[in-house]
Amino acid sequence: MPRLPLGSWAESTVTFLRDHFSGLFDVISSIVSGMYDALDSVLTGPQPLLLAGILAVIALWLRGPVAAVLAFAGFALIDSIQQWHQAMDTLSLVLVATVVTLVVALPLGVWAARNRTVSAVLRPVLDLMQTMPAFVYLIPGIFFFGVGVVPGVIACIVFALAPGVRMTELGIRQVDDELVEAAEAFGTGPGKTLLRVQLPLALPTIMAGVNQVIMLGLSMVVVAGMVGSGGLGQSVFTAISQVDVGLGFEGGVSVVILAMYLDRMTGALGGRVTAVGRRAAAALPRRAGTRVLAYRPQASVAVVGVVVLGLVAGGMSVFAGGTADAQVSGKDNVGKGRTVNMGYIPWDEGVASTFLWQEVLKERGFKPNVTQYDVGALYTGMSTGKIDFETDSWLPTTHASYWAKYRNSLEDLGSWYGPTSLELSVPSYVKGVNSLADLKGRGGEFKGRIIGIEPGAGEMKLLNDKVLSAYGLKGEYKVVAGSTATMLAQLDRSIKAKEPVVVTLWSPHWAYDTYDLKKLADPQHAWGSGDGVHTLAHKGFASQEPQVAKWLKSFHLTEKQLTSLESAVQKAGQGHEQQGVHAWLQEHPGIVDTLAPVGS
Amino acid sequence: MYGTGVTWATVRFATGNGGQRRLEQRAIHPRGMRIALPATREVYVSRLQVEHLYKVFGPRPEEAVQRLEAGADKDELRAGGETAAVIDASFEVAEGEIFVVMGLSGSGKSTLLRTLNGLLPPTAGAVHYDGRDLTELDAPELRHVRAHGISMVFQHFALFPHRTVVDNAAYGLEVQGVPKPEREERATEALRLTGLEGWENSWPDELSGGMQQRVGLARALATDADVLLMDEAFSALDPLIRREMQEQLLELQRTLRKTIVFITHDPHEAVRLGDRIAVMRDGRIVQNGTVEDLLLRPADDYVASFMADVDRSAVLEGHHDEAEVTARA
Ligand SMILES: Nc1ncnc2c1ncn2[C@@H]1O[C@H](COP(=O)(O)OP(=O)(O)OP(=O)(O)O)[C@@H](O)[C@H]1O
Ligand SMILES: [Mg+2]
Repeated sequence: MPRLPLGSWAESTVTFLRDHFSGLFDVISSIVSGMYDALDSVLTGPQPLLLAGILAVIALWLRGPVAAVLAFAGFALIDSIQQWHQAMDTLSLVLVATVVTLVVALPLGVWAARNRTVSAVLRPVLDLMQTMPAFVYLIPGIFFFGVGVVPGVIACIVFALAPGVRMTELGIRQVDDELVEAAEAFGTGPGKTLLRVQLPLALPTIMAGVNQVIMLGLSMVVVAGMVGSGGLGQSVFTAISQVDVGLGFEGGVSVVILAMYLDRMTGALGGRVTAVGRRAAAALPRRAGTRVLAYRPQASVAVVGVVVLGLVAGGMSVFAGGTADAQVSGKDNVGKGRTVNMGYIPWDEGVASTFLWQEVLKERGFKPNVTQYDVGALYTGMSTGKIDFETDSWLPTTHASYWAKYRNSLEDLGSWYGPTSLELSVPSYVKGVNSLADLKGRGGEFKGRIIGIEPGAGEMKLLNDKVLSAYGLKGEYKVVAGSTATMLAQLDRSIKAKEPVVVTLWSPHWAYDTYDLKKLADPQHAWGSGDGVHTLAHKGFASQEPQVAKWLKSFHLTEKQLTSLESAVQKAGQGHEQQGVHAWLQEHPGIVDTLAPVGS
Repeated sequence: MYGTGVTWATVRFATGNGGQRRLEQRAIHPRGMRIALPATREVYVSRLQVEHLYKVFGPRPEEAVQRLEAGADKDELRAGGETAAVIDASFEVAEGEIFVVMGLSGSGKSTLLRTLNGLLPPTAGAVHYDGRDLTELDAPELRHVRAHGISMVFQHFALFPHRTVVDNAAYGLEVQGVPKPEREERATEALRLTGLEGWENSWPDELSGGMQQRVGLARALATDADVLLMDEAFSALDPLIRREMQEQLLELQRTLRKTIVFITHDPHEAVRLGDRIAVMRDGRIVQNGTVEDLLLRPADDYVASFMADVDRSAVLEGHHDEAEVTARA
């Protein structure tokens, strides 16, 4: 079979689109992010409990008192587990994605319902969109839209478009032909037939489609979190990549509460806006005992309630906004409020150093933003300039492929820690296995598996391409790709069961403190020499912020400093990294001046 | 936009008894298009004229028509996946008459009716409305004809489930752009005529089948179109109400003088309502004539058996006047 270069066609298409339609993508990007910012500022503005009240009034209007109480309780729970801000970010993202999806899906659905050819052409395209794994188009999506909210919204749209179009088409096709005929027989034109007969009768199905769109959009938020869309997706993504079961659960529960609320409300809204649903509500028998529970305020009453609460909320957020950040004075104020965007992958030294620099830059008058990304998204985002710099590139080996790909648009600001090492490790109770060479012939013991991490990780490539063959392990062992989290979870499980296991690890890593592990020796130097942890920046960054670039170039931490910083951050816990860094800075007075000297 | 609607091509000289009777009826029609010629003869205009009409459903309908014209029969076509619903139908419906189409289930009655207002385009042949070929009208013209000239009662009612009874009845007026208060008044009046007073604000699915059928009737009557296409419009009514509606239709007809094409499979109804009756069988019109023609001179056994249980003495008695006219003519 000749090799069909399908992949390179796709790649050149992406390059072509990026080179020739960047203007269009910028416009889309700014529209979507504009919508998101506007909605997000409305949702995150008011006090959480007030907004919970507003959402409860909507539930009261649509479904009655029980739903209102449950909605309030649910949102109060989100607030109390400190996921409120993230939940509102996610809500904004999903709502914006839903609106855009519907704006595209409704006309397409109508068109498909009226034209068999359109329907036949759309069907496979929609199938493709719905089944293509998100990452396949998400990473190229970053080329077009940069990291952040926009690719997240796009991912939701791509995924949710299919049910939107399908349900609209189905709804319209389902309308009895004779009714359409009757409309025609009385002289109704095609457009009016659509408005007067087909759409009203299709509305229940279309509303079910809207519901689907929202639910599928929500199901994409975790994936969206991996490309820096923030919100609950990021909470969950961070939690799973650090095996933080507690935070993962809290993030997950918040997603579920949002999903239930949106599901029930759109379901009830369907009943409100469709004629058939209105009739059903009107015909509802009013039994005396349940009268209170069956109470629904009139739309006007509900609107008044929402507006009043909204005004109160708006007023309060104005006053709340009065407390400004402490001012940075004099010569320390190098940044003068300029923003610096940092990205990080959830590796411990990356998290620690990123939040350290966030603190340092704040003290120098900058406005630093930090966002977590999937590693592919991080490099793509940095190459497009959406991310200014990051501090966790393992070079020359681990991240070599990314560096090779993006080096033209990136700049290496030097290594701040090293050397590191990559290795395979086994628990120390596994006897007789001390070097990679010892693995040969013992595949049965390890079930022929080496527990790997993310398939995109540089270490995985190295392992598959070089290390296995150097020791003749190819064929005997299979590298199980997954994530760092699954690797650590498997390690923990095997150790609890005292089973033999071999995992992909690296130093420094906290696993060596937690478990009793053996690093397998590498007599043939197949892993190469150790990496340094480098700081990389977008190409133009050094000329834009020369002072910051200078600080970063001379950044260095000793092993003692790094491990103490990591443990301080670890101790402060997920979501409180900044406090951890604060505590650490307190124990290391003067270090800010060492890291970021002014007036020199 | 439509002028008088009279085209000389469709002006026909009245001949024979039927024509004379119709002329008398037309004389009291307020908008009758009666044209006096210098001589003693009068002419009338046929409102609908159907010429060699074919309607075939299937993948290659035109080809099927050619085979039918060459003498192929319906069953041969069926084997090839084509359904010939209407085969070579020709007839005229004159101003102010009730033209009944009768036939067994599946004989093509509804299909024929749907071609009369262009809901279905004919596969071959033509339908002329007031002398104009329907297929030659452009879309807005056709819509205008449907909104103002021809209205329709559907066999399966086809009421809009998301509109109340009065909004259903007012639908045609809404399309015409009649302002809301006026159209509600007129729709209410049409509902009163069909005996549905007091049901205005109900929903169609709260009504019995017979009542729904009457809403469909009211919807068609409300528009004031003077051609009515009625597809088994009384089939869902119980015998008493049906009888009452038939009387009412004849009563209405005495004052409103509509031109009506009425589909039924009930010979009693056909005889009671029809000025002329066309009998359809397997897509073809096997006989087209007056009640006496059908009773006294059936074209074949099919027609004869159709008319077998009609009480001929009563019917012929009722048509006695006409028989006299015939005799004198
Ligand atoms: N849209 C269509 N596609 C294919 N065949 C059709 C279609 N409409 C009608 N037919 C066929 O045409 C024939 C005549 O149907 P039609 O509905 O005109 O009969 P009918 O005389 O009105 O019967 P009934 O008394 O049961 O209403 C039937 O064989 C039917 O199957
Ligand atoms: Mg029929």
